[in-house]
Amino acid sequence: MTEHAVSRESFAARIWRKTLDGAGVKVGLAWVALLVFAAVFAPFLANSMPLLMSKNGVISAPVLQYLSVEDTWVLATFFIALAVYRLRIGTAKRILLFLLGSALAAVLVNLFVKPPVLVIYDDFRSAAYTEADWRIMPPIPYAPTDYLRDLGSKGLEAPLVTEGYTHLMGTEENGADVLSRMIHACRISLSIGLIASGIALLIGVVVGGLMGYFSGIVDMLGMRLVEIFEDIPTLFLLLTFVAFFGRSLYMMMVIIGVTGWSGYARYVRTEFLKLRKQDYVQAAVASGLPLSSILFRHMLPNGVAPLLVAVSFGVAGAILSEATLSFLGLGVVDAPSWGQMLDQAVKSSTFNWWMAVFPGGAIFMTVFAYNLIGEAFRDAIDPKLSSKAGVNT
Amino acid sequence: MLTYLLRRLLLMIPTLLGITIVVFTVMAMSPGGISAQTLVGGMDMKPQEKQALLEYYNKRYGLDQPAPVQYLRWLNNVSPIGFVTDEHGKRGEFSFNKGMDLGSSFQYGRPVSDILAERIPITLLLNLVTIPFTYLIAIMVGMKSATHRGSVFDVGTSMSMLALWSIPTMLAGVLLLGFFANVQHFHWFPTAGISSREAQDMPFLPHWDETGFVRGFLLDRVWHLVLPVICLSYGSFAALAKLTRTSILENLHSDYARTARAKGLAENDVLWRHVFRNSLLPLITISAGLLPSLLAGSLIVENIFSINGMGQLAVEAVKGRDRELVLSITWVSGFLTLIGYLIADFCYTLADPRVSYD
Repeated sequence: MTEHAVSRESFAARIWRKTLDGAGVKVGLAWVALLVFAAVFAPFLANSMPLLMSKNGVISAPVLQYLSVEDTWVLATFFIALAVYRLRIGTAKRILLFLLGSALAAVLVNLFVKPPVLVIYDDFRSAAYTEADWRIMPPIPYAPTDYLRDLGSKGLEAPLVTEGYTHLMGTEENGADVLSRMIHACRISLSIGLIASGIALLIGVVVGGLMGYFSGIVDMLGMRLVEIFEDIPTLFLLLTFVAFFGRSLYMMMVIIGVTGWSGYARYVRTEFLKLRKQDYVQAAVASGLPLSSILFRHMLPNGVAPLLVAVSFGVAGAILSEATLSFLGLGVVDAPSWGQMLDQAVKSSTFNWWMAVFPGGAIFMTVFAYNLIGEAFRDAIDPKLSSKAGVNT
Repeated sequence: MLTYLLRRLLLMIPTLLGITIVVFTVMAMSPGGISAQTLVGGMDMKPQEKQALLEYYNKRYGLDQPAPVQYLRWLNNVSPIGFVTDEHGKRGEFSFNKGMDLGSSFQYGRPVSDILAERIPITLLLNLVTIPFTYLIAIMVGMKSATHRGSVFDVGTSMSMLALWSIPTMLAGVLLLGFFANVQHFHWFPTAGISSREAQDMPFLPHWDETGFVRGFLLDRVWHLVLPVICLSYGSFAALAKLTRTSILENLHSDYARTARAKGLAENDVLWRHVFRNSLLPLITISAGLLPSLLAGSLIVENIFSINGMGQLAVEAVKGRDRELVLSITWVSGFLTLIGYLIADFCYTLADPRVSYD
């Protein structure tokens, strides 16, 4: 008699293992990891001020003095996330702990971190900072908003043509170094991708869940709502929002989230319509459990698989939307952004190829990486999903 | 079938209403709302003149009324069934075939319907040239990948199709423009617009005359359209090629294909006469979403290549906070999207006799 080999892997572990099998997804995850690293440690990677310097025997770290509130909070959140990941507790507890930790970090950082308001980058190239015993500069010795006025930079120079100063990817129209702006722009892209998709996911799951669970008239009305938000020309609505409400990073995140939830709602609705007839759901209803418990503790974990695929593609879409808005001139003005740099490639009378290739390449690699991850998830969960793409169920 | 079509058409109306309400709410809720402030420019006007101009605009366009009233007036103007209003805005009697009046644009000072009538054909031309081109390439590539599964062509194309799909439209547009339409690099294609100035005077077809080869109006158009069409189509045909490949692979090993081969039919015939038609369904599903995504993509492409189409108009209307134009463009795009879905559903019945909507 042969022994049955019982697999002791949980569903989640199995999906994760199958996802990591392909080659493409490793490239995608490596790129996303690189972006996260660049986003979190940006002030240490590209800055005009020395990381560590010793002057007359006194060791000081100017970078730490000038860390802004946002930089500190991102660093704190990153380490909290690492710590929470290593702890052995349930997923819901992990998420809750992470959210609490980052909220606490936000409060503490706002209270205690007070960097100097005015930063003059030219000072760091003056004698006070250059004549030191030794100093360690960041790998890319230019800050993103350092417009290099004292060096007589006229902006829009090709890579490696300026004598004396290496600009690995050239400079943009105001004189700032492109590579350092790209590193700092990772932060905006990643945060918009994640937060906008998170908002869309939340709205989509709630609306889709209610539609699928109740069906009947709630379903019909909900379907009309989903159709309305699906058929609105999204880019156009985004443009309208931004043009009428003004530009702000948080506004863009919310808007991209609010316009993109219809796909998630459709998936969740389909799954819940199937699941509400299952025995365990009927048992949960019969035991008198509250609605939120039935929807989110019992039904949702069983229907979450197609959502993972949709979220990967959704994050890619959100990053693309933000880049498009910046390209059309409606993005955030002062903070560096890939789309805004791409716009500069065609604005002037000559074609500045380094402004198109490098920021554009970064957008392309990010979208490509998320698409690869999404494809790998899809193949791991249900290879048949791809042939059902978009059918009006 | 007729009742189904009628029902779909009637169901479109609440969706269109919903779309226009959402866009109108966005405009009304914005700081500044829909007011004449943005129209009355200039710091060098005396306050009385400015006030008088403000009042004139308010009266003419009805901008000082509360937002719901403005929306209802606009709805009344647009719908073919409603109250007849004369030039002074007085409400007349109720009529069932009033005719649609889309209003006049603040920015351009012309009736919206004229502006749209100029711009829509250009956008439609761009999109309607793109769609067959996309489908042709996607079907050819998908077919070859599916029939030669695992070959170099197959593996190579699936990787490159995913990469192609990930390239953002604006990057592709900028790169194409910068490298192929530029005097600094290859100047193979024109930089902007949809036809050159001389082409207006040329005859339609290309011909030779004393000065040499004259590019007729037709070829001139084609030459201008090459780069924008490539830009619009590469994303869609990447996705479609992948879908075609999956769908054909599924059907190549189905029972009816096996029976046909067992009966001695040539592989080519099995492919084109039996398998192909059955693999069309996912393609048709996707085509429903193709027209709206093309309309969105043409926003960017028209911006990059300076083509005066509807996408360009939409960006300008929004930037200029032009109420009438924004609302009209919204409902025209929404209408085209819904018509696209309806046509796709109708094509299902043609492709698959099992599908019927009654």
